[in-house]
Amino acid sequence: MGDLIVGISDIKISNNPNETIVTYALGSCIGIVVYDPVAKVGGMLHYMLPDSTLDAKKARDNPAMFADTGIPSLFKACYSLGAEKKRMIVKVAGGASILDDTNFFRIGQKNIMAMRKIFWKNNVMINAEDTGANHNRTVRLEMTSGKTYVKTSGGEMKEL
Amino acid sequence: MKALNKILKSIESLPAFPATGNKVAQLLSKPDYSVLQVANVIKYDPSITANILKMANSAYFKSLHKISSINDAVMYLGQKNLLRAIQTAGISKYYKKGAVGYFDNAGDLWEHSVSVALMSHILSKKITGEEDTTMYTAALLHDVGKIIMGEFIREEMKKISMLVTYQHMSFLEAEETVLGINHADLGGKIAEHWNFPVEIRDAIAFHHRPDLLQKSDKIMPWIVYMADEACLMMGIGNGVEGLAQRAVSELLQKFNLRMRDLELSLVMLSEDLNNARELINVI
Repeated sequence: MGDLIVGISDIKISNNPNETIVTYALGSCIGIVVYDPVAKVGGMLHYMLPDSTLDAKKARDNPAMFADTGIPSLFKACYSLGAEKKRMIVKVAGGASILDDTNFFRIGQKNIMAMRKIFWKNNVMINAEDTGANHNRTVRLEMTSGKTYVKTSGGEMKEL
Repeated sequence: MKALNKILKSIESLPAFPATGNKVAQLLSKPDYSVLQVANVIKYDPSITANILKMANSAYFKSLHKISSINDAVMYLGQKNLLRAIQTAGISKYYKKGAVGYFDNAGDLWEHSVSVALMSHILSKKITGEEDTTMYTAALLHDVGKIIMGEFIREEMKKISMLVTYQHMSFLEAEETVLGINHADLGGKIAEHWNFPVEIRDAIAFHHRPDLLQKSDKIMPWIVYMADEACLMMGIGNGVEGLAQRAVSELLQKFNLRMRDLELSLVMLSEDLNNARELINVI
């Protein structure tokens, strides 16, 4: 069983049932997990910021940095392995904030809003979501079962 | 309080801070320093020498020449980069064992410390327009208290988590309630034990609450605070602390910054981190 590790601003996809895709310690960043149970294709995106207009050049170099460029890239990468949009199961986790959130540190909230807007615009339903609050989350997608697990800092691993 | 006495006593048992960094800083501050003089101070410390050579060739320092000796490093890195490389190499010694209790992996505290130092560097250039080697050192050391606090935290973790979860304390406040001291204050005391200048001591001791330092003209604690929170938001080395951190609302107005400035700085940090693997991998 190999672990495919998704770094910050990174995408990993797989159709290998022996693999697990994992991203560690999401803070304000968001992890998007998609899985097509028929094609048995899955993928994970770990994006950092909501909006690619911040730095268009960076977004071209690495679309996975931003929600609005990363989410389409994740879906397209999965299509290339035979996944289809209508069958995709979508789960999201992350977008945490520090305590008594002020304007300056609102990146977690902005990341959540951006992702919901993009899915809504594209008629994609979010099947499960664990976002907000103030803990880190580690997310795993087990390719053998298509199940997604979330572990919060200091907490137990739970299926999402 | 018994734990507090034990914690404070542990400071005495820490090995002395390597003098190399301070000696080199003194030499480089003179306008007529010679490459040979500087190289001679560093050569005296073999572990630092090896680490400097490893780091000097990283993409982060952007040297145009291959650096294969300390003389090369002194010639090609430039004063400020050389000092940063020396401080990184010297400080990494203390982080080898990590901080059990806070982190599962020994390397996490060091990765976090380097990231906060890189981010402080980015923010200080953005805010003041200048590079500040002292601030870089303070940022590298901001969590040094954790190397002692770790084992005490481990014993009291249940109590601390209860306070964080049910009383909505920040992790720092819970540490102080349970152990009588928090890791930031303890770090300030360690820096004092090592004879660091007062501005570095303050930046460490107030890195979670810069608003409590009664010297409002000092910007170092604020920048280290901002860099630390930014790295924690990115999930770099949070350990058991998670995001149970206080937001200090004055931050924005104080530096006339917008959310966009922080976001752009995060983009720069991610690029620096890609180029600075050698700095993180020295331990």
